[in-house]
Amino acid sequence: MTRVDHLSFERLDVDGALAESAERAWGMSRGTFLAAAAGGSAAVIGLTARDAAAQGGKLGARDVAILNYALVLEYLQSSFYTEAERLKALRGDAAEAARVVGSVERAHVKAFRDVLGSKATKRPSFDFQGTTEGQEPFLKTAVAFEDLAVAAYKGQATRLKAQSALTAAVSIHSVEARHAAWMRYLVGANPARTAFDQPKSKSEINRIVRSTNFITSRASTQRKKAPRFTG
Amino acid sequence: MMRGRRAERSGRGDRRGRTPAVLAAAGMTLGLGAVLLWPASRSTPRESESDLPAPAESALQVPTPVELERDPHASLWSTVRRNSTARSAPDDGAPPVARVETRTPEGTSNILLILDRRRDANGRLWVRARLPVLPNGTTGWLRRTAIAGYRLVRTRLVVDLRKLRATLLSNGREVFRAEVGVGLPQWPTPRGRFYIRNKLVRYSSPFYGPLAFGTSARSSVLTDWPDGGFVGIHGTNRPDLIPGRVSHGCIRMRNADIVRLGRLMPVGTPLEIS
Repeated sequence: MTRVDHLSFERLDVDGALAESAERAWGMSRGTFLAAAAGGSAAVIGLTARDAAAQGGKLGARDVAILNYALVLEYLQSSFYTEAERLKALRGDAAEAARVVGSVERAHVKAFRDVLGSKATKRPSFDFQGTTEGQEPFLKTAVAFEDLAVAAYKGQATRLKAQSALTAAVSIHSVEARHAAWMRYLVGANPARTAFDQPKSKSEINRIVRSTNFITSRASTQRKKAPRFTG
Repeated sequence: MMRGRRAERSGRGDRRGRTPAVLAAAGMTLGLGAVLLWPASRSTPRESESDLPAPAESALQVPTPVELERDPHASLWSTVRRNSTARSAPDDGAPPVARVETRTPEGTSNILLILDRRRDANGRLWVRARLPVLPNGTTGWLRRTAIAGYRLVRTRLVVDLRKLRATLLSNGREVFRAEVGVGLPQWPTPRGRFYIRNKLVRYSSPFYGPLAFGTSARSSVLTDWPDGGFVGIHGTNRPDLIPGRVSHGCIRMRNADIVRLGRLMPVGTPLEIS
């Protein structure tokens, strides 16, 4: 089998734009954001907020910020697969995987948006830099995405207080793990090489967050300026 | 050898001989187990649940995954990431068609409508884009690395120069219609396929009304017009002239109509003038 076990976002030519995006979107300092990211499971954090809401409590600013960071990660995944499917550049099993996994990631996004309600951050702008437009870059990126998601869920599950949150986290975590195995199978990599997966440390999570530049600034298409069109 | 075979035979014989006894013992064990367990499972359900509780309720309601629907009305656009040369074919050696910049004369991101994608002989990805240059209708190939991420719109604006009417379609359905003023015969509004490039707001110029869209269409007559003679879609301080052939090539609307269009039409929308 091909060794892609070390495939990660470091391979994807990235510069930490995710953290910058968080600063722009939510006015968080980088330090606050990265601290939040270190707690950073997409689903897990969202679940805690849901519990808080269910108990009648209001989300604190930090919880909302973390929750929105989680949503950004889900946006990242769902947008990636959706774009790959729309562009129709994939074939065979990869196309099938993009279709199926994309629908699941979109469902995750919807779940998070439902939890956040009006506090949900808008979908960022993405530039997947051609990785959705070719079989090999798509699969390699998909492996990295799924490994990231699995690591994010695993890293924080034990910190959950509410049983209901843990239940949901575990249920999504296993789905992401199956995605990871599927993508690894498609690239010919061993999907179950190790007996135990290690959770990511805070610094590792920060490095992963910094390492993606798939999130880009929005195009500036509107301006307060008098026209000089032909009239 | 003989001893071995005898022993083997003997063993088989023993097993045959023991079978009823083994079965009987197994039956007794199972029966005893059932007797021991039966009362517990029937009489103390609470104890059983505390040992192996039911799964906790999930806090997150993840909906059923929904697959993408067919999207025949979708168009892709992107912004120019770096100043580049558009070429006549997806090849670095192909003749240049036009230079594309990152910014428009209005200072907004320069966007392009994406029409096609292809890999060259070296596996490098190229995109064919509609370009905001003269002659109108020009398309060219750019390296994928020259543009940013794809954006999607499901709208299309159709301007009918004969009927003096603009119609906005969203997902193929009409969502807006308005009478328009178009170019005078000496300054005709160009026909062809274009796209909406930017949106200008909150300026103070009654002539252009409250809002203006920039398009990729250019006047082929007023080529020395400031900023390149781009055709806009905008409001007016002379609503009495609409509908009519009254402009220098721009598409004018009543102010209420352009404001409404401003709410409905995103930048990147393909524009068809016929």
